[in-house]
Amino acid sequence: MSKLKLLLVLLPVLAAAPQFWAQSPSLAVELPPGPMKAKATTACAECHEARIIVQQRLSSAAWTKEVDKMVKWGAVVDAKDRDSLIEYFSANFGPEQPVYVPSRTSVDKRQK
Amino acid sequence: MTTRRNFVGTASGAVFAGALASAIGFHPLLAWAGEKSLAIPGKDGMLVRSARFLDLEMPVEYAADWITPTHHFFVRNHMHEPSTLDPAGWKLSISGEVEKPYAISLTELSKLASHSVTNTLECAGNGRGLQNPKVPGVQWGKGAVGTGTFSGPQLRVLLERAGVKSAGKHVMFRGLDQVPGKVPPFIRSIPLEKAMDADTLVATHMNGAVLLKHHGFPARALVPGWIGAASCKWLTEIKVLDKEFEGNFMSPGYRMPNTAAKPGEAVKPENTHPVTALGVKSLITSPADGAALKGRAIAVHGMAWAGEADIARVEVSTDAGTTWKPARLGHDHAKYAWRQWTYAWQPQKPGAYVVLSRATDTQGRVQPDQPVWNPSGYLYNAIDQVKVHVEA
Ligand code: HEC
Repeated sequence: MSKLKLLLVLLPVLAAAPQFWAQSPSLAVELPPGPMKAKATTACAECHEARIIVQQRLSSAAWTKEVDKMVKWGAVVDAKDRDSLIEYFSANFGPEQPVYVPSRTSVDKRQK
Repeated sequence: MTTRRNFVGTASGAVFAGALASAIGFHPLLAWAGEKSLAIPGKDGMLVRSARFLDLEMPVEYAADWITPTHHFFVRNHMHEPSTLDPAGWKLSISGEVEKPYAISLTELSKLASHSVTNTLECAGNGRGLQNPKVPGVQWGKGAVGTGTFSGPQLRVLLERAGVKSAGKHVMFRGLDQVPGKVPPFIRSIPLEKAMDADTLVATHMNGAVLLKHHGFPARALVPGWIGAASCKWLTEIKVLDKEFEGNFMSPGYRMPNTAAKPGEAVKPENTHPVTALGVKSLITSPADGAALKGRAIAVHGMAWAGEADIARVEVSTDAGTTWKPARLGHDHAKYAWRQWTYAWQPQKPGAYVVLSRATDTQGRVQPDQPVWNPSGYLYNAIDQVKVHVEA
């Protein structure tokens, strides 16, 4: 099967599986949908990418500490958004979420 | 949004292409038609814990050789790697509690007698992802570890040239990590005694080649047997202090509770001490977790290391820990390096098995059944295990 045919076959499947894109390493990992996504992306994917966030599995107490630490370190979070941001991370990246599966870097042919 | 600008400045072209693709909105085609994975020059098939900052983990099945090839060596960065490094302009300063502070160029440094140390370097947070309850930080699996031969002048030669005053007790390292926002700089210190050890280096080479940028080009500290964070990369400043350096990466960072904490329990800062040497640990590198195996003669392979101590023995259990059999240690051996081990396993019948490995060191330390939980998930060293299926 050509790559294009394979793509056409898989496209509907892939479109239904946002996780797939989250794990495709050549793409910037995105934060999950929700009313806080845009603000979280602006505040939290500035110094580092979202991948550092999406691999965590933390209680809301731990997310609270984490967000406050990042604000102290320079993350720009409006005081009125702090609680919703913590809720957004806790809901999406709580202790019950499945373990994050990392992607791999490509094979460096010069090493072979 | 500054995100895009940072991408251009700090990440590889592949990441930038990805960012661009998501900006113009056709990632599906791009992902399939072209680059399917992140390309990091000099690194091969590594697990991407983070692309920016760069944190790469070695898949355990890569740990086949005693010396880990550099393209399979893990990378741990707390912040951005330096965007520019000019070896001609690079200088390393030695100051603080010394008689004669000075700075040395790379050319002068390379004229000093070079000393080589084969060392197993492991991130203090290796295995954090296996801790329960979960703790914040890079969620490493088992592969933030590797063994390399590091070469360069002994740190003590540089310190002796400056003349350490009697007030000098700790040695601080600072490198060129690019610090974003109001993040505290990555500065740490080690006790003078360890700094003066004959095997503590200012390394310029790794596995016979000039250090890769990811590993600290043009020079890094190499503090053998200790957590990776002690071995500061892109080193430019060595300062002798009268006490331990005070800063985020000495406290609250990189500290362990003085007495065992209950899983999930908070620990007061005054009841902690700095993490220094690595613990005793083993890793099963083959068969892989989840493998389906054929035959009645299966070689179990792995590595075992113990920081500043030697491995005394490695034992393997194939009956969930009821009985243990000795593994054979490999002949390659160096003071701070892991030992390879093998166990010739002859399963009597097909079925599901849990294969365990347990190392004991010359200080009498034994890998525990359960990891020693602590709030930052440091020094995970529980008995290793893989689940396999032996087919009929
Ligand atoms: C000013 C730069 C900056 C911003 C903005 C920022 N971070 Fe971080 N973040 C860091 C640094 C630096 C580290 C790595 C620290 C280390 O490796 O020791 C980090 C690490 C993390 C980690 C891993 C756990 C840890 O503490 O090391 C999480 C989770 C995280 N950040 C979440 C966030 C969230 C959520 C936001 C938005 C509220 C955010 N970050 C914004 C600099 C930043």
